Amino acid sequence: MHTLILILLLLLVHPGIQEKTALQRPVQKIRLVLQHRVGREPLVLGNSYRNVLGDTITIYKFKYYLSNFAVTDSSGNTVRLPLQYRLVDEADAASKTIELSVPVDRIRDIRFMIGVDSTRNVSGIQEGALDPLKGMFWTWNTGYIMAKLEGSSPSSKIAMQSFTYHIGGYRAPYATMRWVTLPAGNRNTNKLAVVVDINQWFKHKTALSIAKTPVCHSPGELASQIADNISGMFSNDSNP
Amino acid sequence: MNLPKTITVLGAIVLTGIGWMVADNRYFKPRPVAFTVPKGWPQPVYDFSKNPLTEEGIALGKKLFYDTRFSKDNTFSCGSCHQQFGAFNTYDHNLSHGINNSLTTRNAPGLFNLAWQKAFMWDGGINHLDLQPLAPITAENEMGESVEAVIGKLRADKTYPSLFKAAFGDATISYLRIGKALSQFMLQLVSSNSKYDRVMRGEASFILPERLGYEIFRQKCTGCHTEPLFTDFSYRNTGMAADRMLNDAGRMKITGSSGDSLKFRVPSLRNVAMTFPYGHDGRFFSLLGVFEHYRKNLVPDNNTDPLLKNGLPLSNYEIGQLTAFLYTLTDSSFLNDPRFAPPGYGNGKPPVDIHR
Repeated sequence: MHTLILILLLLLVHPGIQEKTALQRPVQKIRLVLQHRVGREPLVLGNSYRNVLGDTITIYKFKYYLSNFAVTDSSGNTVRLPLQYRLVDEADAASKTIELSVPVDRIRDIRFMIGVDSTRNVSGIQEGALDPLKGMFWTWNTGYIMAKLEGSSPSSKIAMQSFTYHIGGYRAPYATMRWVTLPAGNRNTNKLAVVVDINQWFKHKTALSIAKTPVCHSPGELASQIADNISGMFSNDSNP
Repeated sequence: MNLPKTITVLGAIVLTGIGWMVADNRYFKPRPVAFTVPKGWPQPVYDFSKNPLTEEGIALGKKLFYDTRFSKDNTFSCGSCHQQFGAFNTYDHNLSHGINNSLTTRNAPGLFNLAWQKAFMWDGGINHLDLQPLAPITAENEMGESVEAVIGKLRADKTYPSLFKAAFGDATISYLRIGKALSQFMLQLVSSNSKYDRVMRGEASFILPERLGYEIFRQKCTGCHTEPLFTDFSYRNTGMAADRMLNDAGRMKITGSSGDSLKFRVPSLRNVAMTFPYGHDGRFFSLLGVFEHYRKNLVPDNNTDPLLKNGLPLSNYEIGQLTAFLYTLTDSSFLNDPRFAPPGYGNGKPPVDIHR
């Protein structure tokens, strides 16, 4: 009897035994499939395109953060999804599909933020997609680069005929986070194709001439203007 | 006890023992350390709940602070430009040295009382202590190294994995942990035991010139150098025309606002006798140089602080008394505390009393 009690006690303190957390109830999965394009043409890094302003561009890097996803159901209720930060990178095909768990049957709109909210810009070192080592972080002026576009163009008058746009800044009046709402058509769907048109980077609201402005590397009015352009890059596949 | 029973018991003990060995030591937690706020000081702004201080974390942070592998050519550490005898500034240097004979563009400030500081660098561009080390590690004219390479060097080291395990529970080495450990060490750098502090606590008294200097200080200096931290952490334009080569716009580089042109963070005056040269670019080699600037050499522009727009009149007499007072801000127990000293120096125990 003493032996049994002793064994039970040993089992109790055995570190292998611990509570298992309850599994989460499954919800509907929906995949956002991001299709990067320049106008109607699919983006291939290293290929040349004529952009909407007539500049010939070759793109080497195209990366941006998406976060703060939410959906609105057919009766207009908005549900914020668990907070997640995704770094979409043209060079990483897997990053262009974002799977969301949605507790809603029919989705009217889907809403997300381009960039990283100010909270995460002022909370010290982050991990995962927000790790400062991902190359989307400014060390000298704390904050995330919300979106990055780098390439070359004969129109550029600087070394290597390059253009480099690093769009960031979380402080008013030059905050560069932007909200995007896309209609999902009240469909019961598990896939939503989203077109991301780089042409809008150069024109959506303010024309961005590579000859005049080949570089943006700090928060400010220019970054804020380009952020407005970026917010126009996203559209549904059915409505290009 | 019969044989089968004995074997069962022994078996159970062995199994439990193995369980302990493979369970990642969840039951051996690092030992917590309390952070003491000096009497009469405001509450710190650093969020200790996100980075609880532990003996193991602080010890790791100190080892990292003095590790030369943070620089590309493994020649200098954080402690190379932040020297304890200069209150963790670069002693007697206007600008600091980076790799390949490069120079920094600003004067390395002393490091102390960082738990009360919201933003870092002369322009306040860095908004969290944990993130601060990224800037000097990666800057081409400072340590010039990538964080990935630093992590690689630390992983290859024999002792670091076990030190990270002791501080954080497992041997993972990430920038998050490096930053937190460095912060834990730097947060220990509290300077609150100068003669001024002892006078305020009623344990000592000023001699006449110190007392007269303190009175002048309270009339003319506390508008920016607010007690007890001797800075209000604001950014101000003090009429220092930009150096033509450095062309440093200060706070404007961060906010993008022309109203912030040539504004720099008000530095603390604690340990000021040891932190020469002065100014964001170290252009003043002595306190006298600073006083001369304020009373004679200001170059005011539209952004110059209203408190200084018309200069700061100071008589030779006042400068003498102010200097006597400023010397009472030297905290010799902080400057000599072996807990902060480079490895191999002292016995690691704080001095009982070295105010003699």
